[in-house]
Amino acid sequence: MKLELGNFYVKDIVFGDRISYSKGVLTINKEEALEVVKEDEHITEADLFIVKPGDNVRLVPVKEAIEPRTRVEGGPVFPGVTGELMQAGNGRTLALKDCSVLVVGKHWGGFQDGLIDMSGEGAKYTYFSQLKNIVLVADTDEEFEKKEQQKKNRALRWAGMRLAEYIASCVKDLEPEEIETFELEPITKRSDNIKDLPSVVLVLQPQSQMEELGYNDLIYGWDSNRMLPTFMHPNEVLDGAIISGSFMPCSSKWSTYDFQNFPMIRRLYKEHGKTLNFLGIIMSNLNVALDQKERAALFVAQMAKSLGADSAIVAEEGYGNPDADFIACLVALEDAGVKTVGLTNECTGRDGKSQPLVTLDPKADAIVSCGDVSQLIELPPMETVLGELESLGRDGFAGGWAGDEILGPSVREDGSIIMENNSMFCGDQVVGWSTKTVKEF
Amino acid sequence: MANLIPVAKTVGSNKIVPTISIPYPLGDPNTSKEEQWKLRYHRVGVALEALTTDVKEQTVFKVKI
Amino acid sequence: MKKAILYINQFFGQIGGEEKADFPPEIREGLVGPAMELQKQLGENVKVTHTIICGDNYMGSNTEEAIKTILGFLEDKEFDIFFAGPAFRAGRYGSACGHIGKAVKEKFNVPVISSMNEENPGVNMFRQHIYIFKGGASAAAMRKDIKKMAIFGNKILNGEELLSADEEGYYGRGIRRQVWLTPSVNAADRVIDMLLKKVHGEPFQTELPIPEQDIVPIAEPIKDLSKAKIAIVTSGGIVPVDNPDRIQSASATRWGKYDVSNIDRLESGIFKTIHAGFDPAAANADPNVIVPLDVMKAYEKEGKIGKVHDYFYSTVGTGTTQGEAARMGKEIVKDLQEAGVDGVILTST
Repeated sequence: MKLELGNFYVKDIVFGDRISYSKGVLTINKEEALEVVKEDEHITEADLFIVKPGDNVRLVPVKEAIEPRTRVEGGPVFPGVTGELMQAGNGRTLALKDCSVLVVGKHWGGFQDGLIDMSGEGAKYTYFSQLKNIVLVADTDEEFEKKEQQKKNRALRWAGMRLAEYIASCVKDLEPEEIETFELEPITKRSDNIKDLPSVVLVLQPQSQMEELGYNDLIYGWDSNRMLPTFMHPNEVLDGAIISGSFMPCSSKWSTYDFQNFPMIRRLYKEHGKTLNFLGIIMSNLNVALDQKERAALFVAQMAKSLGADSAIVAEEGYGNPDADFIACLVALEDAGVKTVGLTNECTGRDGKSQPLVTLDPKADAIVSCGDVSQLIELPPMETVLGELESLGRDGFAGGWAGDEILGPSVREDGSIIMENNSMFCGDQVVGWSTKTVKEF
Repeated sequence: MANLIPVAKTVGSNKIVPTISIPYPLGDPNTSKEEQWKLRYHRVGVALEALTTDVKEQTVFKVKI
Repeated sequence: MKKAILYINQFFGQIGGEEKADFPPEIREGLVGPAMELQKQLGENVKVTHTIICGDNYMGSNTEEAIKTILGFLEDKEFDIFFAGPAFRAGRYGSACGHIGKAVKEKFNVPVISSMNEENPGVNMFRQHIYIFKGGASAAAMRKDIKKMAIFGNKILNGEELLSADEEGYYGRGIRRQVWLTPSVNAADRVIDMLLKKVHGEPFQTELPIPEQDIVPIAEPIKDLSKAKIAIVTSGGIVPVDNPDRIQSASATRWGKYDVSNIDRLESGIFKTIHAGFDPAAANADPNVIVPLDVMKAYEKEGKIGKVHDYFYSTVGTGTTQGEAARMGKEIVKDLQEAGVDGVILTST
């Protein structure tokens, strides 16, 4: 499988008459773009904004981030989701780099939604403050979930994907500024010098804990709650086979942008053939019953063993009871003789003194920690808020509250806020970006 | 009574009776009301017996349904 | 000018050795023994105003009395920081520094800094409560140990950024917090580094050390269930639909108890779950799947159990800190004991 990512480095984004890309400048016709958004009749209101690093702007409730991409040979960027099924991970896909489409609710947020500050102290808590962003702020007629804490955000998330595909289509006939090639030889056909290196599998546990359809990460459009661990090529993940879901406290979530750019996968590619033999990805999931968690761990360990993996990396998209899936998987792999490193975040509580993961095992002796969801963050007001600031306190955000005896409300009258890291948009960057760790004090 | 036995063990529970899942520990909504009742009646019964049992270490009690 | 006070034992207070270990607490203005070195190391911006001296045995055998006296001494003193020791490997001295340090911290809420050798039992007794720096085995390390205490004290008083326990050199207090690495290294790089070391059998350092397991004493079994009163307690967030106690959906700090003396089961629409950590559909349709009141009442009718307690107890167990959970647990237990409850079925989600 050979994937070529053709990159265009976006230096500026402006609104203009015609959608186009030239010399680093992306021009978007706002009206035309909004028509694409409104192709779904459930979108009742929509507007577009451009925000850049350093802007005095706060975005909340942020629901999704997507890198604008298009396929040179045609076909949907997200097979099985935005179009028919096709193999992802082969051929040439064009990407607009250093920018993303951010989807923000005009009014309503929820447990799974997050916050982004484009400048100031808050900017360091999310990856997306370093990108130029096309921000879709919209509302829908999905009345059934307007006041629900858990939202599927279906119309908004799909509008974001449509918009990202539409925007990237303007580079379809252009020659990319850079081409990155991702190619792994079939496992049994590799040369001896690669086979002699320690082999490694990457085990991913994307969010799949809602039994009702519509909330979980989708793999080729298939709800990840309805699957057992399976073997995938890393190119599939990098090329749109997975989209983010709409469940889990936001700092633990992996956005679609995160899947498209997965730094851990890219890093493994870099080591492949030098220090490691990268076998591929065991795509597992996260479950809500012990037998499901144990079954998934059995499948993962067996596959790693059968593939001849000397080592494994396990990453979980979540915390709390997903820690049980995570630790079960680490233990099963170690028991199978596979040397394993875990990649996760922690929840140590507001006092920092709680057990960092809900399940622990001495066999999980190598863990990289990307952050602490319960850390309190206090931020000054921002000049502009896109979305609705009130949602942070009102709508049951994982890291926001209407009132607290000691801390007061999350959203104060002057527009300043206090929140838990929990609601920083994809803030813990367990996909590999995180430059945070957790230390004892 | 817990589904995540490893969590219950990690936090130091001494008498543990397994339940069937996180969102519905004692009654699977995909089964009939009668079946749910039977399962709940059985497992709570095991838990009540566990309260009368002398244990020396962390113990997971066996359930039949 | 900031002010500091130092606690030392009878030996370093120049009262005497083992024969004077029963020396009761005394406070002196100015500098005694190690206080001079502490003053020197703290520099001009901090003044060590008083030295407190107490015999190690006196503190050991009259702990409450000694603490009370010393807190009394401090009542009318102005001070911004409190030091104790260094205690090196001296067990009784270390424990005394810990006892008084913890009490001062709790009463006056000022930073408390001590120093002990890793083999001093005072380390594990008090490391959660005060800053205890890693110190030498004997008084030969006096200057070095005091220097560490003074440098850190100045850092706190100057409002400088405090680094992690390992970087600063004190024993970790069990508080884990996120920090940005400097120089910045992303998680993917750290994973590869750790993995390669692990694969090649080289030493590596996990970022999340597994703490020791919490062991709870085992309760006596109930002798006669048919005479016992049993209560249901849950962390599954089942409450009356209007959530009268405003229990939080995550990171809960509140619990509630709800009267079920006159009902045989929890009806949907009257009770629901407010727990945000799982799909609530099943529990909202039938709350008995989390709080099994229906079968408990059946067992009561059959005579298997004496009585189902009139109330069930509920809170939410997602993102809830262990500290809060333990506090709520203790409060609930007190209520249960007052009501003469013999046993509890605790359901979790």
